[in-house]
Amino acid sequence: MQWLRAAAQPGGAFGVAGALCLVVAVTLCLEVVKSFLSLPPIIITYLIPVLFAAIRWGFAAAMAAMIAGAASAAFFFYKPTYTFYVEDPARRLGLLLFAVVAVVAAYLAVRMRRESEIVRRREKEIGDLYAFSRRLAGGHSTADIFDAIEKHLATVVGRRVALFEPRGASRRAEPISESEVPQKVRETAAAVIAGDPGGNAGMAVADEHGNHWLVRAVSPKTPDLGVVAIDLGRETPESEQEIRARIEAVLFDAASTIEKIGLAHAISEVRMRAESERFRDALIDSVSHELRTPLASILGAATVLREAPAVAGEARLASLANVVRDESERLNNEIQNLLDATRITGEALQPKLEWAEVADIVNVAVERRRIRLGSHAVEVDLPGEMPLIQVDAVLIEKALGQIIANAAKYSPPGSRIRIRGWRDGHTLALSVSDEGVGLSAEDSAHLGERFFRGGRHVQTTPGSGLGFWIANAFVAANGGTIEATSPGEDKGTTVTMRLPIPANVEQLESISSE
Amino acid sequence: MSDAAATPNVLVVDDEVQIRRFLRSGFELDGYSVSEAENGREAIRAATLRPTDLIILDLGLPDLDGSQVLERIRSWSNVPIIILSVKSSEMEKVRLFELGADDYVTKPFGMAELLARSKVVLRRKARATTGDSVIRIDHLKIDLAARNVFVAEERLTLTPKEYRLLQILAQYPGNVVTHQELLKEIWGLPHINDTHYLRIVVRKLRQKIESDPNQPRILLTELGVGYRLAPPNDPAEG
Repeated sequence: MQWLRAAAQPGGAFGVAGALCLVVAVTLCLEVVKSFLSLPPIIITYLIPVLFAAIRWGFAAAMAAMIAGAASAAFFFYKPTYTFYVEDPARRLGLLLFAVVAVVAAYLAVRMRRESEIVRRREKEIGDLYAFSRRLAGGHSTADIFDAIEKHLATVVGRRVALFEPRGASRRAEPISESEVPQKVRETAAAVIAGDPGGNAGMAVADEHGNHWLVRAVSPKTPDLGVVAIDLGRETPESEQEIRARIEAVLFDAASTIEKIGLAHAISEVRMRAESERFRDALIDSVSHELRTPLASILGAATVLREAPAVAGEARLASLANVVRDESERLNNEIQNLLDATRITGEALQPKLEWAEVADIVNVAVERRRIRLGSHAVEVDLPGEMPLIQVDAVLIEKALGQIIANAAKYSPPGSRIRIRGWRDGHTLALSVSDEGVGLSAEDSAHLGERFFRGGRHVQTTPGSGLGFWIANAFVAANGGTIEATSPGEDKGTTVTMRLPIPANVEQLESISSE
Repeated sequence: MSDAAATPNVLVVDDEVQIRRFLRSGFELDGYSVSEAENGREAIRAATLRPTDLIILDLGLPDLDGSQVLERIRSWSNVPIIILSVKSSEMEKVRLFELGADDYVTKPFGMAELLARSKVVLRRKARATTGDSVIRIDHLKIDLAARNVFVAEERLTLTPKEYRLLQILAQYPGNVVTHQELLKEIWGLPHINDTHYLRIVVRKLRQKIESDPNQPRILLTELGVGYRLAPPNDPAEG
């Protein structure tokens, strides 16, 4: 009988004792009531300890309460009292009915309790899984993902868990966290990752303290999910067998969950992304070095030539030296644009936000384009007190520089370029207006596209069509917007950049300079 | 050259022969005497053997990293060093300024720009040796010994933080001092990332010393790196 076996367990014996105490308490109460009122003793009262014991301690305790209750009623309250014999046949029938009702009620109560426990466990499992999948989705590297697996396994197994991640071609095993893992366990994990055939089923290792560890691959199908070592502690061989069986089941569930989530895919994805980022960085590095070094010689030599007495005295030669200088400057700018564009598409753009003064950004942008601005009259109009903004000043300067360079390129020499700044609610606006070719309806529609160049200018004005697109991406990376408007062809263009003003700026600016 | 030495010695360090060639011509045309080194070790040896007034140091050397060369030379000499590099990252600049570089020029560059910057660092060196405590930049006069600041001979009242900022920059006029260094010197280590402190003091100081605070001519911004003062007036101009 299952309930007998249950009662034999320590918890079961405690439950039976508790149930008997409850029966004694009920009997005492009934005795007290009997001395005051001459009511017939109500056997139904003994259902209270039965139900309580069933919910609290299980079926065995409930049965003990039922037997003790029936016996107490027969002994203390039914004539002849102080014997277990019951005279009245109706009372005997009542006792039998009580026993039947108690068994049924106890059975239902125990089942209810078991079900509510299952629901609670499910809830916790779902909570764990949800936490796990959120950590997976937020992972940026394989290390994050393995860390999530380790935490998840530790939660579901309920023991000390160390996960080993296979790394590199040699499949070197490395523990994910800095947890203390004995040397022997590390070695076994390395052997399992290296493809030990016994590893998938699991290997037991004893460390120097006599603790037993179970080492096995998380998934028997692929070692890519790592190898897990679980601290079993110092259990007897029998209970260790039981724990291992439980862990087996938990790991099976965990592995299939992990597979369902597409973890293997996620891991290879992360690795590939890291790989391609490295490749792109190497490419950018080599392009900027290999193209710019000869360019540096050309530009440098041209500027030296330009100042050499033999050339400087000869106007035609000097202007040729200027051509070499200006064109290498242009080539350098195009290389810079290509590098910037690569950074944007590669999502390698990470703005380094710091507090900046708008006037500083405008001044540097104008100063750096001094040569390209040529004979244009640049007019800067900034109010005295502009709020500080929190941006990557270098990116914003580059964006503004692109806009200024475009204004200079698409407007006649000597015309006016006006740079204005103002506060507009929660944004800071910066606009660059020129008196140039303006925008056609077609231009306006395509302006934000990479490599777009207005059809009217392709033949007459050199350029790659990257400038506005880069400016747009740089401003967007800083949480801003950019917009170009024009009253029409040949009526000038105004490009307006808007950047967010942080909410706490007034408070920050109120600090004194004492 | 306002220098005592009629022909300053410049050491050009770059592994690209073409770059060394145009740098040699450019500097010689401007009255310098030029020596060359094509790698880091040679550069360190040349700097110890010959009297050198200025070093033009490329970052990408085949044997040693340029910043290592900078660090080694700085360990025993304060000769002006201008860094050349194809990279133009602001983080890199900050690092090099903190290692003791005097200026930084991104490749490619025009010879005129490099000559102008060379002149500034050489003049600064000459001033440092004369130990002159009065610095004049445009209409501004800073007397470091008396702790007084004048604009067009009129004495200014500065707050302690404003004066400290000006003092740090004036110790190396024309030299870039990084944001982090200024924050550390003026507010202390805990505020090393509070750039807004610096911006606000700079804004107030500019209102006192610049004729147009929105278009500063004296206290200049190196975007993403730090601040510097404009080169001081030639002593001859007073």
